[in-house]
Amino acid sequence: MDAFRATFRNEIIKLYKKKKAIAAVIISLLVIVAGQLLISGVRYGLGIRGAGSADFPILILSAVINTILPLFTALVAIDSFSGEYAQNSMRVTLTRPVSRIKLFSAKLAAIAAFILAMLLLLLVFSLLAGFIFNDHSATAASVSRTVIAYLISLPPLMGLAAGIVLLANALKNGISVFFLAVLLFIALKMLALFFPHYTALFLTSQLDWYNLFLIDQWPLARILRQILLMTGWGAMLFIVGFYLFDKKEF
Amino acid sequence: MDKAIEIQNLTKIYPNGRGIREISLDIYPGDIFGFLGPNGAGKTTVMKIMTGLVRPQRGDVKIMGHSVLDDYEKAMAQVGCLIETAESYPFLSAGDNLRQWARYYPGVAEQRIDEVLELVGLLPYKQEKPKRFSLGMKQRLGLAAAILSRPRVVILDEPLNGLDVEGMIDMRKLIQRLAEQEQTTFFISSHLIHDVELTCTRVGIIFDGKLLSIARTEDVLRDYASLENYFVSEVESNGRVPGNISQ
Repeated sequence: MDAFRATFRNEIIKLYKKKKAIAAVIISLLVIVAGQLLISGVRYGLGIRGAGSADFPILILSAVINTILPLFTALVAIDSFSGEYAQNSMRVTLTRPVSRIKLFSAKLAAIAAFILAMLLLLLVFSLLAGFIFNDHSATAASVSRTVIAYLISLPPLMGLAAGIVLLANALKNGISVFFLAVLLFIALKMLALFFPHYTALFLTSQLDWYNLFLIDQWPLARILRQILLMTGWGAMLFIVGFYLFDKKEF
Repeated sequence: MDKAIEIQNLTKIYPNGRGIREISLDIYPGDIFGFLGPNGAGKTTVMKIMTGLVRPQRGDVKIMGHSVLDDYEKAMAQVGCLIETAESYPFLSAGDNLRQWARYYPGVAEQRIDEVLELVGLLPYKQEKPKRFSLGMKQRLGLAAAILSRPRVVILDEPLNGLDVEGMIDMRKLIQRLAEQEQTTFFISSHLIHDVELTCTRVGIIFDGKLLSIARTEDVLRDYASLENYFVSEVESNGRVPGNISQ
């Protein structure tokens, strides 16, 4: 467990010291600013309410969950594996007293921590912007629903991260991994349009599952089905990703 | 006597047919073992298997009694290594790089980081990022990382690459001091045969993936004018005769 903890801490420090993490924070804040400017423009220009303080954070989540969050997840996941293969720095960690399963798990845990930090950052700032600049429509219930919507967006993003990590261990080049991941993401989104009955099965469609928690009466059967599907995807992608990582020679 | 490193029937053949075959070797605590062989003989493959970077098709390596295949964490807890090139994170300072590696070992504090940087002559550059370092400085940082945890076994693949004459002399003295005073065991590969002669207490010669011979350096120098003469003689007489392994 000490080796896992040491690796996790190292990964978090590396993320913190890289410019990508800072860029992600800045872009996330810019999205909130742009969203707020848009809402204010609609309100004062067209006389339409746009979004109240309760709706604004959900509006932001719906905008980022299929755009910048998967993008940053991909960049961080690729950097954590393909980036270190390219620099040969993975070898430095592999020759420390840490097993490959602990190293692999700690890297994924650090990616999860990064995604969670991004979600919390977006949540806090969108809530603040919602309260300061928009109509006060928020209630305790709507705020708690918003918090839940942000937090439960972590598992589908982690499923996506596990898929990208698998690709990073299957392909040699980080750029190939990035473009293949983008192509697969778009392809799955398109498939969901053409085969709406099978939407729930696709990893990319699960990104929108936070909508199930915005309803007053939670559809428990659908939520359970989504949890099982995500667990299945996550387990498969983790196992295959680790298999490829474990077989790698340096 | 307990063995520091025990290599048993190590075999790894790459798809191109190159690799190592049935390498068996014992190294004892305090040994400075020089692993000699021409380019492509299999030195790095052996060292990569010893450090878990490559898996063998057959055989095993035990370090301080722990198998690198079955008990990797315990085996590597006793090892410091530098394989092929000294790699580091270019976006972290030299000090931060060492802090990253120090977290894997209990009791390696900031003082020890300063101590190893001082030993390799990099203390004034602790806050600088290795991307601005010369090849020699990167190599020194790699060596600092290898000895950071006061390992009982140090595995060094071409440790003198990029070092100037002064650096080579310092490194030789450091290796000899650690072996004598702390009973650290060294497993070193180098193409600088003269330096191996001056540093190592035992030598092994590998050729075409097979271990040809193992001998004490002082015994070799009693029979031959130099280690180079012994190396050439061994390769010439045994290299082309498969299976002729003398230990």
